Amino acid sequence: MAASCVRTVGSFLGKCGNCSSSLNTVTSQLSRQVLSRQICVSTALKKNLAAGGPEKFTVEFIQKQVEEFDIGKRHLANMMGEDPENFTQEDIDRSIAYLFPSGLFEKKARPLMKLIFFPLHEAVQWGADGRPFHFLFYTGKQSYYSLMHKLYSKILNIEKHQDRMRAKGLFSQDTKEISLDTSRWLTKEELEVLLVETISSNNYDRFIQLMERLLSMPYCNMEEEFVLHYRRPLEARSKKQMVPVPERDDKGVAFSTSDGRRKTSNSSVVLRDCGSGRITVNGQEYLHYFPVLQDREQLMFPLQFMGLLGRFDLQCTVSGGGRSSQAGALRLAISRALLSFLSEGEQETMRQAGLLTPDPRVRERKKPGQEGARRKFTWKKR
Amino acid sequence: MAASLSGLLKPWTPRVFLVRWSRYNPYYLEPEVRKEAYSQPESELSAEEKEQRELKMIRPIKAAASGVTSSVFSDPVLSKFINMMMEHGNKVLAREIMTQTLENIKKKQVEKYHKAPEGQKEEIECNPYTIFHQALKNCQPVVGLESIRKGGKIYQVPIPLSDKRRSFLAMKWLITECRDNKHRRTHMYEKLSQEVMSAFVHEGNVIRKKNELHKMAESNRAYAHYRWW
Repeated sequence: MAASCVRTVGSFLGKCGNCSSSLNTVTSQLSRQVLSRQICVSTALKKNLAAGGPEKFTVEFIQKQVEEFDIGKRHLANMMGEDPENFTQEDIDRSIAYLFPSGLFEKKARPLMKLIFFPLHEAVQWGADGRPFHFLFYTGKQSYYSLMHKLYSKILNIEKHQDRMRAKGLFSQDTKEISLDTSRWLTKEELEVLLVETISSNNYDRFIQLMERLLSMPYCNMEEEFVLHYRRPLEARSKKQMVPVPERDDKGVAFSTSDGRRKTSNSSVVLRDCGSGRITVNGQEYLHYFPVLQDREQLMFPLQFMGLLGRFDLQCTVSGGGRSSQAGALRLAISRALLSFLSEGEQETMRQAGLLTPDPRVRERKKPGQEGARRKFTWKKR
Repeated sequence: MAASLSGLLKPWTPRVFLVRWSRYNPYYLEPEVRKEAYSQPESELSAEEKEQRELKMIRPIKAAASGVTSSVFSDPVLSKFINMMMEHGNKVLAREIMTQTLENIKKKQVEKYHKAPEGQKEEIECNPYTIFHQALKNCQPVVGLESIRKGGKIYQVPIPLSDKRRSFLAMKWLITECRDNKHRRTHMYEKLSQEVMSAFVHEGNVIRKKNELHKMAESNRAYAHYRWW
């Protein structure tokens, strides 16, 4: 049994003539067992290989191969006198190198005992007579183009249905729409995985355009299932929030620390669950540090929004930037520190109020040939 | 709907720079700051509101502006007016003028209240915020005029205005009128409070300007069909 999984040099030569160059001989491990047992291949068996049609690697088939590989691995371990339970892949490689020493320079040409799963498209795509199974094989991207054909035929079906409805006089624009808000299209990488072949970005754009065209027609809910197959649900944004860890200091008071940034200001806030409502900024009272009402309102904003104004004690440090950006940095830091004292629903309301998003607006650079970021020099006709 | 999500959440510069662009990806939604919007359980516009809520759960939200809070004292109309009055980024001064204006309005109304006979005391409005809002509403034009070129000649065609445009015009007229047409030695807050009080009772220059615009639009009614949008 172990021998069946070992690639033999003879079968490599035998299969070369029939298969495409990408097809590594290692596929022999997963394909016909008949072939992998033999040293040299007769022409009759060569035909047998290709006559079966496109390989159907079902789950049972793969499982059976995995089981057989395990049995072979145990036999090998017994042969080498080692423990069959803890026989890793490196041990297998070492044992095969010991049992079948090879002087070949190409490492990939040496004997190998490994389970390798090849993507579907590397299986044989044509029959015994050399004719490919799929009618779009010569396009090079058969599954992509067959998908586009299927999509277009669905569009034509919908149009025919519309014409029938119009003929009967039952045509109406307000049919049930497919709800698309909570899902997104497959990315190009995901589509490649689905189709098992690479597509270019132009191809991907065309695919999305055709899908959008399908969705723009009134009776598109006929093909709802088909469309939803190519969409992935978007998960709720609240799950991606980093909540700071609340700690307890020596007096037993719960506190949490967090940072915030806005423009060029950096701030750090320690929120203590004391019950006093005092705010200290860089060692000073907040009334001294922020004489402007608007900045103090911004400091209070997260606490007032949740209704927890008098409960917490804030010890803030802030540096850089101007008056308003320091206040904004502090607001972000306070909101983040407050997250650890709130429930999930309250965290979500904070997020929807815009308190947890760092403001990405920064000063726009001055461009050459202009006086400022936007202002151009005075336009002179001559 | 965007395909790859991680690229959408970073601070963003567009590939083609349009004239008006922002550092937020267009994927982001506007934040809702008022507390009342989150306390409604299930008794709202069922389909639309629920869809809106679903969307808000999925999409990222922009940061709240720095002039806006959830307290009862912050007013979006008032914030807009303060921003319009602000010059060279001096928000402190603009806000100061606004608070002085409201204080002034309140003083005058309270004086009138105390001088009024018993029967008329209830009719005098003392809340400066309601007076300000009502005055702005009174100043808003209903239709506007647009210059449309047809056959070589330019006609002033009456067109409907959106809500935003109407409130913008009302605020703009108020500010320009106070800046230009008043005596230069009076303070801005005095000028503003006088103008707001007169707009509240449908008098004053701003109301007159609005009425003139309406008359022009009425007289040019014949050209209304020149509008193609």
